[in-house]
Amino acid sequence: MKRKAFLIDTTLCTACRSCQVACKQWNKLDAEASVNSGSYENPPDLTPQLYNKIHFIEQQEEGEDLRWLFINRRCMHCADAGCVKVCPSAGALYHTKEGLVAYNQEKCIECHYCVNGCPFDVPRYDEKKKVTKCHACSDRIQNGLLPACVKACPTQTLKFGDRDELIAAARGAGKKLYGEQDLGGLGVLYVLDDQPGTYQLPKNPAIPASIFFWKDVVKPLGILGFWGAIGVAALHYVTVGPKQVEDSDDLENKGGE
Amino acid sequence: MSRYIDRFNATDRIVHWVVAISFFLLLLSGLGLFAHTFFGYFTLFGSPQQGILVHKWAGPVFFFASLLLFLRHAGDTIHFDADDRRWIAKFGGYLSRQRQEIPQDKFNAGQKLFGIFAIIAALVMGATGLIIWDPTAYGRGLTQFALMLHGLFFTLFMVGMVVHVYLATIGNPGTLEGMLWGRVTKGWAKKHASKWYQKIVKG
Repeated sequence: MKRKAFLIDTTLCTACRSCQVACKQWNKLDAEASVNSGSYENPPDLTPQLYNKIHFIEQQEEGEDLRWLFINRRCMHCADAGCVKVCPSAGALYHTKEGLVAYNQEKCIECHYCVNGCPFDVPRYDEKKKVTKCHACSDRIQNGLLPACVKACPTQTLKFGDRDELIAAARGAGKKLYGEQDLGGLGVLYVLDDQPGTYQLPKNPAIPASIFFWKDVVKPLGILGFWGAIGVAALHYVTVGPKQVEDSDDLENKGGE
Repeated sequence: MSRYIDRFNATDRIVHWVVAISFFLLLLSGLGLFAHTFFGYFTLFGSPQQGILVHKWAGPVFFFASLLLFLRHAGDTIHFDADDRRWIAKFGGYLSRQRQEIPQDKFNAGQKLFGIFAIIAALVMGATGLIIWDPTAYGRGLTQFALMLHGLFFTLFMVGMVVHVYLATIGNPGTLEGMLWGRVTKGWAKKHASKWYQKIVKG
């Protein structure tokens, strides 16, 4: 099956938050009490009850109008996903046949490693201590429906479909995309109105170096080291042989190795 | 006159075996967290959650028992003399069938090095283990680094343990007895730890 993706054109977003609400309704996520932090942004971060949200970038320089940028934040559905890489329980976090990152809470062992493996700080843990995040409404997609957020978006900021087609269309319209190549290609592509850093997105998102080192260097070396050490010991035993205590040791008063 | 001399007293032995048992509990319960290649090891503990629980209980036991073991033997392990340097240069004579006379104290230079490595590794495993005990309690960078170090020292520790177990059992017959019931033959002592043997004999 061809890889699916979201295309989020932030230049079209009016911050109506239909996507936020539609996601909550479809996924039966509870409302949460929050406090006014002096911004229209609410809640301030993703939570176990909030899989996608509008992040408000509110900037004002002296004498100038307020600059307002909005971006829909969620799981990026990376092809080379840090969360899938660190998850020790096969099938707890996985790629669907559409190339999106979904999860099975019954297989989640509550180790929380995915939180540290994600370059975008997305996975959250609910009160049952199980992983939660945007799963691209995989239940809807498999039944031929659009993800709830895309369905609800009134301005076509959010699009969902064949990844190659979305990229081709955006290119045709002269738009520059964020996430086309990073991490094997993100499943959420952004059209941004400024530098990624302004939107609190990493410029070159990558799996954290220490996570890469753990999974791609230490782990194979560990397996090699274990069998290598056993092999060397066996080889030593049959070539040089053990250090037997000989009869002479019981008599003479010398030696020692 | 007895053929045997005492090498490790009951406390030494008990502390050593507490370290050994908790090490293998940690190894088996930790493999499933190390990589999903080994996820099946959790079935030994009933469920992954129970495996993690065992790991969290065995961790502090291993840490404090290792500390105690090191402190009990530190006097014999932390200095190296000319004989030790010769032992290291010749790999303890393990690479040849030829008998090589390198007088050693209670512990040979290899055992000393392993003892020092083991306490450093135990400290690193303990410190990083405390950080990843709750992987969302500290900063992401710190936790990621701790996960990596914990895995790296696990790998080193496991390789060291394969070597340690081989040399202490079939590689050097008669060695294991010292740790099982505390005594070794005089012949063993003369061959493996002649300086120590002389000190014991002279009292």
